[in-house]
Amino acid sequence: MLLEQVRHGETVLEARGITKRFPGVVANDGIHFEIRAGEIHAILGENGAGKTTLMNILFGLYQPDEGEIWIGGQQVKFRSPLDAIDLGIGMVHQNRRLVSAHSALENIILGHPKAGKILDLKRAEAEIGELCERYGFSVDLKAKVWQLAEGEKQVVEILKALYRGAKILILDEPTSALAPPETKKLLSSIQAMTQDELAIVPFITHKLPIVLAVSDRVTVLRQGKVTARLQTEGATEQSLAKEMVGREVIFRLERVKAEKGQPILQVEDLSAASDKGYLALKGVSFSICEGEIFGIAGISGNGQHELAEVLAGLRKAEAGTVWLDGTDITRASALERWRRGMGYVPAERVDVGSIGDFSLVENVTMNYYFDEDYCRGGVVRYRGIRRLTKEIVSEYSVATTGPDSKAKTLSGGNLQKLILGRVLSRKPRLLIANLPTQGLDVGATEFVRNKLIEAKKQKAGILLLSEDLDEILSLSDWVAPIYEGELMGIIPGEEARRDIVGALMAGSVTGGAAR
Amino acid sequence: MWEFFARSLEASTIFTLAALGELINQRSGILNVGIEGVMLFGATLGFIAAQLSESYLLGFVVAIAIGGLLGLMHGFFSVTLGADQVVVGMGIWILGFGLTTYIGNPYTGPLGMDRIPTISGLSPFFYLGLVLVLVTWFVLSKTSLGLRIRSVGENPAVAEVSGISVARTRYLCVMVGGMLGGFGGAVYSLFYNPVWNYNFLMGWGFIALALVFFSTWNPWILLGGSLLFGTLWQLSLNPQLVLPGVMSRYLWRTVPFVTTIIVLLIMASKWFRIRWGAAKPEALGVPYLKE
Repeated sequence: MLLEQVRHGETVLEARGITKRFPGVVANDGIHFEIRAGEIHAILGENGAGKTTLMNILFGLYQPDEGEIWIGGQQVKFRSPLDAIDLGIGMVHQNRRLVSAHSALENIILGHPKAGKILDLKRAEAEIGELCERYGFSVDLKAKVWQLAEGEKQVVEILKALYRGAKILILDEPTSALAPPETKKLLSSIQAMTQDELAIVPFITHKLPIVLAVSDRVTVLRQGKVTARLQTEGATEQSLAKEMVGREVIFRLERVKAEKGQPILQVEDLSAASDKGYLALKGVSFSICEGEIFGIAGISGNGQHELAEVLAGLRKAEAGTVWLDGTDITRASALERWRRGMGYVPAERVDVGSIGDFSLVENVTMNYYFDEDYCRGGVVRYRGIRRLTKEIVSEYSVATTGPDSKAKTLSGGNLQKLILGRVLSRKPRLLIANLPTQGLDVGATEFVRNKLIEAKKQKAGILLLSEDLDEILSLSDWVAPIYEGELMGIIPGEEARRDIVGALMAGSVTGGAAR
Repeated sequence: MWEFFARSLEASTIFTLAALGELINQRSGILNVGIEGVMLFGATLGFIAAQLSESYLLGFVVAIAIGGLLGLMHGFFSVTLGADQVVVGMGIWILGFGLTTYIGNPYTGPLGMDRIPTISGLSPFFYLGLVLVLVTWFVLSKTSLGLRIRSVGENPAVAEVSGISVARTRYLCVMVGGMLGGFGGAVYSLFYNPVWNYNFLMGWGFIALALVFFSTWNPWILLGGSLLFGTLWQLSLNPQLVLPGVMSRYLWRTVPFVTTIIVLLIMASKWFRIRWGAAKPEALGVPYLKE
């Protein structure tokens, strides 16, 4: 290994003019930066700025077309991730790279040269326990990965990299799936690592304030190029965002006050089981009135997904009752719920929200085939739906070659606009929007949020489920943090404070539950 | 009664060997539904080799080798080419069925060699089967190789970034799995019932396949399942030995297959998936193709 002994501030990794082209696009264009031992060096960029490509190059998954990578003063070439690992690079992926059926410990030692022919789990556990103590991680090493929370899985990935002897730790969106207290813990662990002269390289799209709080230096990418290299000291959230987006960005969203109307949805003591069979939603009660946005804030895996599916009629309620406009719909089919004026925007826009090989017209049909106006005697009136599709495409500015192109040719943002458009064109009484802006870039996010506000003005009730606390806080009339399948409180939107909601999301009841 | 017991164990051993091979396959994420074909090949070519050379050893060596080759062929289609594993497996079965009928036809009839001696009245292969179950369990759960195999079967992408060659691991497993299948077939044709006849196996391989699912991919449960099915199978052949006068023997013949169907129905139920779902290798049957 080239990085056996490093001194503070020494350059450990240098990228010189990295260029990577894909058909029709230059993903990385002459990228140049250097990482020093013991520093936190954030790499910032929007979706599509070339961050993922750069990460894959640094980890040996892609080979650059041009440019060189230098480690510890020597030029290196990665043919595979194994080469990168051997040279001291550790990668913590945003889409966790862990075997969920295996224990945390088994995941950490997988492929480790020291694991030996016959596994010595006791010794490995002791060594990893030492790492945990040193950097303040707490995770049950014997637990199966699928039983762990998102933050713990990330810790397992970090431990895996450290156990492998990583000196340069690349973190992909390290705080995106964490609740505020977990974020705090992670940041203090990261700072402990820099004391040991590790270099930490977080790649970040959102949550700029966190970058400002901990990093020493920042490199900003835009459209595949480095647009700025800054010392974090002296930078502001506004200035960083400007470098990222290339224009001034407004961070504030206006909360619209709509006239409160009749209650639409009432939920009482609703419980549901997860796919694995355990109770994921435990006796939830709330109601939503016309013109209200009811925001459920929670980290993924706390039962909000099950809640959305039970309400949409896709999952059986184990207990409890749901009323829509006063009618008990607890046992109603998904189709009946659509007919009664419910609309559903699923979190999985590719797998559940659309069929990739179908045209846009056919995808719009999925929400209209049961409608008298568009289907007579079992025959679909495609002409009408075609017209409707064209209207949706233009009103929601879906970038596409035409209504007959396949849904899989759309980008994430455009697909989400199409799905939202087809649901909202039905003028639903109640809209369930699960993670409506997840993974979208700034422009599409802004668009989707404005459409939600528009629907609210037209007296629709909206159940908004999101991991993005800022989104929940800025849009919702009621904020309900969810933790382990229970609502930790229902707080009026004007009174919801970031720190309290964040603490409740993480299951800390001392945050002062308001009800 | 002892006779019945001993015969049951002999039958169980064949299930154990074939199913153990399939279990190793499946733990690495490769589904081979064509073990019946692999067993037919092993049984037939082993039978012919033993008869021509008058050497049991050579018979078994040929059976194991052809099993390994068929395993590698399955590997080539499903690992290297990324083909649909069920289709490839069915192909191997049909190939085995057709080709062994053609090759073996002139050898129809008894083997005509002295029987392999038993050890304290039991089949020597039974003891070997026990050892192989123990070894498989140890390798899968206690060694680095086992962790690699299981990881490849659960999530090949993770294994790859951890520096493990998915293709090499899977090839190793399909080869060993095929060897065990061929060996199991030869135990049938050289020991259990040393007479060659057209399509003599009649579904043993498919029951072995069902056994793997029954075992929830655990070698010890697989051993228990083999003993159960071996006994059922033997009972279905000679019900009068144990339960004289109960049900027609034609009905008894259906018992192992009906049991297989019931086991697979239970396995397919939602209750079972929730209770035991985590046991199934997540990447089973899914080709792993790098971008």
